[in-house]
Amino acid sequence: MSRKIEITTNEKTYFIEALKNGIRLNGRQFNEMRTPSNIFLSKDEYGYIELEWGLTKISCRVSSFIRKPFEDRPFEGIFNINCEINSMASKQFENGKNSDEEVLISRIIEKSIRRSNSLDLESLCIISGEKVWSITVDLNFLNFDGNFIDIGCFGVMLALSHFKKPDITIINGGKDIIIHDINEREPQPLSILHIPICLTYSFYNTSQNVEENIKGESDEDAIYLLDCDYKEDLLKDGSIIITLNKNREIIQLSKNGGIPIDVNILLDLSLNSIKFVNELTDLIKTLIKDHEQQRFTELNLKLLQVGADR
Amino acid sequence: MSRMEIYSPEGLRLDGRRWNELRRFESKINTHPNSSDGSSYVEQGNTKVICMVQGPMEPSSRSQADSTKATIEVNLSVASFSTFERKKRSKSEKRMVELKATLERTFEQSVMCHLYPRTLIQVDVTVLAQDGGLLASVTNAITLALIDAGIAMYDYVSCISVGLYDQTPLLDLNGLEEKDISTLTIGVIGKTEKLALLMLEDKIPLDNLESILGIAIAATHRLRDLMDDEVRKHGNVRASKLAKN
Repeated sequence: MSRKIEITTNEKTYFIEALKNGIRLNGRQFNEMRTPSNIFLSKDEYGYIELEWGLTKISCRVSSFIRKPFEDRPFEGIFNINCEINSMASKQFENGKNSDEEVLISRIIEKSIRRSNSLDLESLCIISGEKVWSITVDLNFLNFDGNFIDIGCFGVMLALSHFKKPDITIINGGKDIIIHDINEREPQPLSILHIPICLTYSFYNTSQNVEENIKGESDEDAIYLLDCDYKEDLLKDGSIIITLNKNREIIQLSKNGGIPIDVNILLDLSLNSIKFVNELTDLIKTLIKDHEQQRFTELNLKLLQVGADR
Repeated sequence: MSRMEIYSPEGLRLDGRRWNELRRFESKINTHPNSSDGSSYVEQGNTKVICMVQGPMEPSSRSQADSTKATIEVNLSVASFSTFERKKRSKSEKRMVELKATLERTFEQSVMCHLYPRTLIQVDVTVLAQDGGLLASVTNAITLALIDAGIAMYDYVSCISVGLYDQTPLLDLNGLEEKDISTLTIGVIGKTEKLALLMLEDKIPLDNLESILGIAIAATHRLRDLMDDEVRKHGNVRASKLAKN
């Protein structure tokens, strides 16, 4: 097991006292997210992004190739998310060994995106039973400052929206295909059905008496923080991950242990989350739109349009 | 074959239940008195689970000893004959690791771990038959086995799955229903409204969450009573044996 990072009792008490007075050490409100910064959308290749979210840093690459589909699903493309967490991010993660924590992170990202069908797999089919696109997302965590799940999910969705696969023509009555080079024909974006957004709430028990809290005799002592950072993550008493999309659908809910959460609080948190989901979904859309626009002007693609006045 | 109807207009489900009916819940505790410190057997409909608890005992390796509280280790094995289609399942499968971690973390909170420092509580669960509500039955079985082992807990952890068909919540899904509609599994501590465990894997509309949780919590309270009856029945049997001697 990797060495756990220990936090002194002093620091912990200080942190809890601050929370009791309504203060987070990083100066944010309880339900305030950090905003992603330094977002890099690659101009040369489709589907490579990097972003920073607080000090958490991730990179995400989408790649595609053509292969034979699984026999039981001849009409569906193949989609995989590959999550890499190693000690580059933080020393609490160990190289080459999947701890429970890491499995949970990748499972939840996978459930949110893959299981919820956010990528239309049938549109990846080229010739049924013969050739389909296989899309793989490699998600690498470069630095850890809390909240891997939310940021990872956001990054993957941004990368998928950014990605374009080469155009294809089917010839010989559906026997062969021509893959057009991306310089020859404008490549096609993926068809994304909805954008899932994960939100992680960490909770902290501020009362001394754990028993009262677990038995539900005192409610007021639990504090819920959105988008926790490094220190908050180490000190948390539990967390709940809510994945939603803009259509007000809950895609995934999970609470793996930690102090129990009251039903009413859960409902409040989910209803409040809609606001952030809308913001983040719009952010992905505007980022992609601006990027497209920029490419369009830089490469002077207007000249290539059908109606262009040459 | 006629098309299967998850929920008929008359309000009946595939197995003839109404929307708010539980399946037959049967439990036994102290099923393996010689081979374990605590054991239980739970049947929820056709889902059958055996659970055995060893400990609190000295951990075999140093790394498992925590000087402040007990460590809980859950080993989940799903028998290859547990489903209709025979299939070997490996323990390293991501889904299994996730379930195991979820169970461990849930019980770390509801067991009074601080009373047993430097010890290991080992929970071995075997799933004999699966027909929906796997996580729920496993959780209930572990609760009973821990009680049988005499390990201090705050209260029962009772767990149930609920699905949503159109606008109607359906309680305690069986295997066929679980394949078709999205399922939420919740675990509640005692007779409170506090959720110790929560897992939802498919889409449900946000606005239906409240109605689903409502029925699920009522069901967990009912399950807690059923488990409590079983524990008390067993307690009485033991007490009468003691009185005879």
